Amino acid sequence: MNQNVINFFNKIQNIDRRYIYIVVALSIIIPLLIPFNSPTYVTKPTADIYKKVDSFAFDENKAVLLSFTHDASTMPELFPMEVAVLRHCFERNIKVFTICWLPAAAPLVDYALNTAKEDYDVQSGVDYCNFGFKPWAIQLPIMLGMGDDIAKAVETDSQGRKVENLEIMKNIKNYDDMNLVIDFAGSSSAISWITYARARFGANIAAGVTAVMVADNYPYLQTGQLMGMFRGLKGAAEYEKLVDVFAAYESEDYPNGRPYSNEIIKETNVPITGDTIPYKYKKARIGMNAQSVAHIMMIFFILLGNIGYFITRNKG
Amino acid sequence: MFETISNFIAAFLTLSIFSFLYKDNPFYKFAEALLVGVSMGYAIPLVYESVFIPYVYTPIFLSHKFIIIIPALLGSLYIFRFSKNLGWLSRYPIVFGMSIIGMSIPMSINSYVLVQMRSAMLPIDGINSALIFIGTVTILLYFFFSKAHKGIYGKVTNVGIWFMMIGFGASFGYTVMARVSLLIGRIQFLLGDWLGLVK
Repeated sequence: MNQNVINFFNKIQNIDRRYIYIVVALSIIIPLLIPFNSPTYVTKPTADIYKKVDSFAFDENKAVLLSFTHDASTMPELFPMEVAVLRHCFERNIKVFTICWLPAAAPLVDYALNTAKEDYDVQSGVDYCNFGFKPWAIQLPIMLGMGDDIAKAVETDSQGRKVENLEIMKNIKNYDDMNLVIDFAGSSSAISWITYARARFGANIAAGVTAVMVADNYPYLQTGQLMGMFRGLKGAAEYEKLVDVFAAYESEDYPNGRPYSNEIIKETNVPITGDTIPYKYKKARIGMNAQSVAHIMMIFFILLGNIGYFITRNKG
Repeated sequence: MFETISNFIAAFLTLSIFSFLYKDNPFYKFAEALLVGVSMGYAIPLVYESVFIPYVYTPIFLSHKFIIIIPALLGSLYIFRFSKNLGWLSRYPIVFGMSIIGMSIPMSINSYVLVQMRSAMLPIDGINSALIFIGTVTILLYFFFSKAHKGIYGKVTNVGIWFMMIGFGASFGYTVMARVSLLIGRIQFLLGDWLGLVK
């Protein structure tokens, strides 16, 4: 083997890790500054959640509960999911409730609601309701209590109003009506919902989790205990696309969005460059551009490092 | 104006944390300590407002539900964790909490064990279910330590090791994806909200 090649790999083996940091940072910064249209393939776990949420469209007797079990540290992955689901609900006139179990999650719920409702004529207590922060210690009685009477279990919303008096509660009594709970977390907290709300009351449970937690949650997806799952930033990007293609679609035939179709989602690529879609509704998809470049970069480094390792080891 | 100032502070703190990648420094330590302090400072009044007032103060002093005094006193025994002599008192609320866990055992067995077992016993009707079957059996055999992993048995358990390695690899891949996503989120903030370069 050429001595120059061996010297090169010797240098690579001992390179200062901070150069790697710079390259990884650039591989993320450049795609964010110069976004490009890469295809977003929608997977079944995400599509299943979309279809379930969409089945409640324009139905006054159904509602979705979004449970926020995370703080700001996992926001980059979970926040785009939350905004996308809220946007879907507001587009399709679906009643939506929010609740959080960590003190640090309370402002994130407000932030998500404020971000999504900017473009819609929706009203708190009528179209959506934030139950606010409820302490973790009383999660169990609330989860079980919602199976009988949501208004009794939660009592007041984030603004201190009696939940039972709110207009949104009309025709919404328990999990039979609020038949989908989506838990957003950087942990396996969806298991609590599976254990109490699903096992006892048959509620549909879905999870929006950070990529780290995907492997932990897969067994519950495989058994059907989770009816769907958002898997990290990729899941958020998929849902953003679904909302653009179906819920936010407008035409003469479909003035309020169109129904889900496997054929349409396969054939449609939504361009994310340009100003047609606000940045907040394509944040995950632009992020996935950077994610792809960063992954290619890392694969390259792993291959380079391994080749160098074997060459220098054999020579050593 | 407020947004500009708050974005500037957030950007300064983000860069302070990132500066650790170069080497440990006072800016990093300051940002780290500030995070802990602010988190606690934020949580204490929120918990007071959202827990103590609606679940303790209002029921006892306004609604006169005096029965609430008993769990309130029980809960306040936690404070004795800080006392060397009276620390044993803090075990009572813990014991009460543990007794509640007993209530969830039947439902947990259903979710964690029965449903998982049922889904592992379905007929093998495709490649995925065949892989799950082989993986489950070989990994279970690998963790059976009453027989030496030699000969044919050792080869079978090796298949289990391969399945686990692939599982760990997938898990690690997802972990890398998650960490990169966090970096993307921060850079989106720096480039967008702070510098206004992406909209």
